[in-house]
Amino acid sequence: MRDTQGDPTKAVNATQELISQAKVHAIWGPLNSGEALATTPIMARAKMPDLHPCVVETLIDPVKYPNAFRIAPSNNQWDDAVRNYCLKILKVKKVAVIGDTTGYGVTAVGASVAAFKKDGAEVVYQANVDATQPDMTPDMLRAKNAGAEAIVVWSVSTGMEARMFNTRAAMNWDVPFVGHPSMASGELASLVAKPENWKKVYAIGYKSCSYDSAGKLPPKSEDLVARLSKANVALNDTLLWWVAGGIDCIELIAKAVAESGSTDSAGIIKYWNSLSTYPGYFGNYRFSPTEHNGYLTEEIVMSESSTAKNGTFALAPGYT
Amino acid sequence: MLASILASGLAAGAIYALVGVTYNTMFSTSRVMSFTAGQLAMLGGVFGSMFTLKLGLPIPVGFVLTLLCCAVIGIVTEFVAVRPVLKSLDQHLYVLSTLAVALMIQQVTAIKWGTEPQPFPRVAGFGEGVLDEKFWLPVVACAVTIIGLEYLYRRTLVGRAFLAIAEDNFAARALGLPERNLRVASYALAGMVGGIAGFSGGQLLLAFFANGALLNFYGFVPVALGGLGNNRGAIIGGLALGLFQQAANFLVGGIFSSVAVFTLFIVVLLAAPQGLFGASTARRV
Repeated sequence: MRDTQGDPTKAVNATQELISQAKVHAIWGPLNSGEALATTPIMARAKMPDLHPCVVETLIDPVKYPNAFRIAPSNNQWDDAVRNYCLKILKVKKVAVIGDTTGYGVTAVGASVAAFKKDGAEVVYQANVDATQPDMTPDMLRAKNAGAEAIVVWSVSTGMEARMFNTRAAMNWDVPFVGHPSMASGELASLVAKPENWKKVYAIGYKSCSYDSAGKLPPKSEDLVARLSKANVALNDTLLWWVAGGIDCIELIAKAVAESGSTDSAGIIKYWNSLSTYPGYFGNYRFSPTEHNGYLTEEIVMSESSTAKNGTFALAPGYT
Repeated sequence: MLASILASGLAAGAIYALVGVTYNTMFSTSRVMSFTAGQLAMLGGVFGSMFTLKLGLPIPVGFVLTLLCCAVIGIVTEFVAVRPVLKSLDQHLYVLSTLAVALMIQQVTAIKWGTEPQPFPRVAGFGEGVLDEKFWLPVVACAVTIIGLEYLYRRTLVGRAFLAIAEDNFAARALGLPERNLRVASYALAGMVGGIAGFSGGQLLLAFFANGALLNFYGFVPVALGGLGNNRGAIIGGLALGLFQQAANFLVGGIFSSVAVFTLFIVVLLAAPQGLFGASTARRV
């Protein structure tokens, strides 16, 4: 195990050390897209079997990187899930799409707006806002005046998100926010002026890590949480999907070695390419020689952002 | 909309103005534009949140401790980034040295405090809507600070010594004024002014390590607009900047508002290179 702290330089050094010194047979990680952008070509040159959860689209390319497999959604899958929730479950027709001014924010807003329009929705307002802008009233007012029925948010800035939630409350507006998982970050509890300002905020989540109106997780996840609790693994300051995804990766590597009968990289990759449905804790994965995005879009759901419990969230309204 | 522009524009403007005064206070005794001004304001918010919310100290105690900590950072800046380069001011090495200290402050804050914005407590506890204290507190803090500085400069011996150093460093030293001690004191004072900016604007900007770079940038604009070393110019420039920026946010939107602000900034400097309130200096030829 190497802690690369989200730093691409450290990730590159760790990757090279693991390949040439430790001579590992497969790698789980890195866990950050910036790191993965730097390490993926290195692992490809070494034909190192790699499972990772990083969302950037270009990290998965079965021709360029036949050794790399994604076990979490890509950016496009997140976008699809958010759009489907807005259009099919909330049944809104007019949306505002707001992101921050980072490269991620600008790219995500552009892609989201294009996809909404393609699906026949009306994007009545779109903006990229500096995450440090102290007052969100101008953008929220423009979105309201334009007739937005939902606000789609693409940002990792909890400060900006809290300001938007507080501004919505100050405007006496009950428009729902739908979007990035950071809207469910625990930091927001202390940043919103009142707890109720964080209601009607729906962040990207996962079926396997969401509980229903009775407070029940899917049976497999319920069992996992019970086992983790029994082993004194604290889940109150993390997200279950990180833990579940990690377990799935270790098991996927172990199974590949067992099924292929060796630690040879070609055998591990061949086994992963043959998985038409692999039931994991985080979700069901499906890989083929031409498709290394293994996570299924239908496993992505929206969560009630303010309902964290043992690293899981309540399903947003509209799901059964 | 007008009320919102006035409320948040004046609040942000007051914070920018105080950062501008921080720049000026350091500049007056050293002739150095120290790019730690915005970081001092950032630390005002971070220390304030740490003392009051994390450590649970009463607001007045947290405020005093914040000012003391910021004053210490100001003094450290003088020793580490300013004093070593004073002999070669014409080479502008202070740009590098003060930027390096600013970067160190930001990185240490990110590591120790975290990279997520943290809440700041309510200070007075009253006001809502456009009269919320997060809007009027920076304006009141700015007014009180300016009155205090005017009193210091006009009515006290130490203040007059500051002015003497600012006016003519060599003549002041020839008269026996302790120039080095006064310079250290002015950096401590600048630290406190920056601390006031961050503490009073904490509810608006949150306690966030990245505010330093933003305030360095927007705090410099009123200094340039108002004339280097001119506190009254910095106040008027800061408030005008805040109002214009917020109006631009409403009228043209987030990204374009920054473009509008800096377009105006460049136009003003082209028309009046010495700043709107700065006097052009005579040069012996």
